[in-house]
Amino acid sequence: MSKKVLIVEDDKFLRELLGKKLAQVGYTAILAVNGEEGLEKVKKDKPDIVLLDLILPGINGFEFLEKRKSDPAISSVPVIILSNLGQREDIEKGLKLGAKDFLVKAHFTPQEIVNKLQMVLG
Amino acid sequence: MFMDPLSREDELKDKENELRKIRLAFLNILEDTEEAKTQAIGEKNKSLAVIKNFTDGLLVLNEDNKIEIISPLVEVFLGQKEEELLGKDVSRLSSRKIDLKPLKEILKVRKTKDIKSIFRKEIRLGEDLFLEVTVSHFKSGEKKGALVILHDVSRDKLVERMKTEFVSISAHQLRTPLSAVKWTLRMILDGDVGEINDEQRDLLEKTYQSNERMIELINDLLNVTRIEEGRFLYKPEPMQIEDVVDQVVGEAENAAKIKKIKIKTERPKSLLPPVTIDKEKMGIAVQNLLENSLKYTPEGGTVIISLEKKNKDVVFRIADNGVGIPKDQQARIFSKFFRGSNVIKMETEGSGLGLYTVKNIVEAHKGEIWFESKEGEGSTFYFTLPFSS
Repeated sequence: MSKKVLIVEDDKFLRELLGKKLAQVGYTAILAVNGEEGLEKVKKDKPDIVLLDLILPGINGFEFLEKRKSDPAISSVPVIILSNLGQREDIEKGLKLGAKDFLVKAHFTPQEIVNKLQMVLG
Repeated sequence: MFMDPLSREDELKDKENELRKIRLAFLNILEDTEEAKTQAIGEKNKSLAVIKNFTDGLLVLNEDNKIEIISPLVEVFLGQKEEELLGKDVSRLSSRKIDLKPLKEILKVRKTKDIKSIFRKEIRLGEDLFLEVTVSHFKSGEKKGALVILHDVSRDKLVERMKTEFVSISAHQLRTPLSAVKWTLRMILDGDVGEINDEQRDLLEKTYQSNERMIELINDLLNVTRIEEGRFLYKPEPMQIEDVVDQVVGEAENAAKIKKIKIKTERPKSLLPPVTIDKEKMGIAVQNLLENSLKYTPEGGTVIISLEKKNKDVVFRIADNGVGIPKDQQARIFSKFFRGSNVIKMETEGSGLGLYTVKNIVEAHKGEIWFESKEGEGSTFYFTLPFSS
């Protein structure tokens, strides 16, 4: 069965572009527009990994990570941050909250993002 | 002895005249003193009037750091009345309104060390209160003391912060559409959405590179803003500069190979003393210098990076045999957006922020930076970093 990747991203174009790329390399892409929907879908769809944006309407990415951490039902789902923030403070905060990696969107191509997913998913 | 009554009368007259003269002289002296006193009071009033109407906070301290005179703004800054402040030792001041620690630190320095006659520092006393403190020492006759000027720079700081935030937010916002362009182009170039012909590939590849330059430019802008924000050094720690250099050189090896440029590194056999650095920022500095050398050195050139110990500093040196910097422009090379006329002609890309960033990073680490360059022969940049204490 193909691995499920949840993309939490508020920019429609980026979300769909990445969804397309993931589908192409054989993943099942689940899309969420904001933090609330993201949390819902983590619980419902049980993805193997989450690609998480930080600046989101409503619950932002950092809050998403906090809620995930405190909920045993979903705390083991790995998360990779994919954001256009990227100052050292943001990166440290994200990793401290349990993210596996921090990717700056503008610095990675879709293929490089896929490579990172493969590294975590094995 | 027989006395002539007439001569006695003369004598009395003389005495009287003499006394009159003396009296006059005394009166004159008295008048002079009075005048001098009035003048002195006048001067004192004038000085006081100047101090009382000063638009900065002004404190006059005596030799024991006790407050002698203040200007009204000091009451506003410290949130205390003049009566509470006069005669008080500055180190014993306390305020419920603001944190006085930074101010006391500065004044402590003045007392313990024979510092320069004028000393200036910017301090933060409260959430929105930034003061530029100037301490100036004076000595008039036997009297020694200090004049402390508190200049409110809160507004400048606020504007600076807003500017920085604006750039920071815009930069992050700009990255989103640029990511979209990058991802789309890459997917097309990778053939993810079907075959493209060579001409299409060529054009798209160039577009992709332009977009990459835009992303780099934004990174440069973000770096510059962070330098200007003053929060640029992040958790500096003692470490080996060799590690930073090795990492940067490792990352640049590919680019150097493409241009057929040799990168040589030279350093003492034993480890250098550790230096206290912000690893990421120092990496940016070394990377900028190395990128410049690679960019402005023709194919087949050599770049030599050496490290050595000198007095209490580690000296970093990077030498290339590239195009060099025209003599008439050398004075400006560390200024923001500077680009040499010769490299603009070469049509190389650059934001003109690299060396500006490097200089700020080195100086934030209490180091010095300088260079030697001859147009057509090459450039050598040096910087120092003091050993960790």
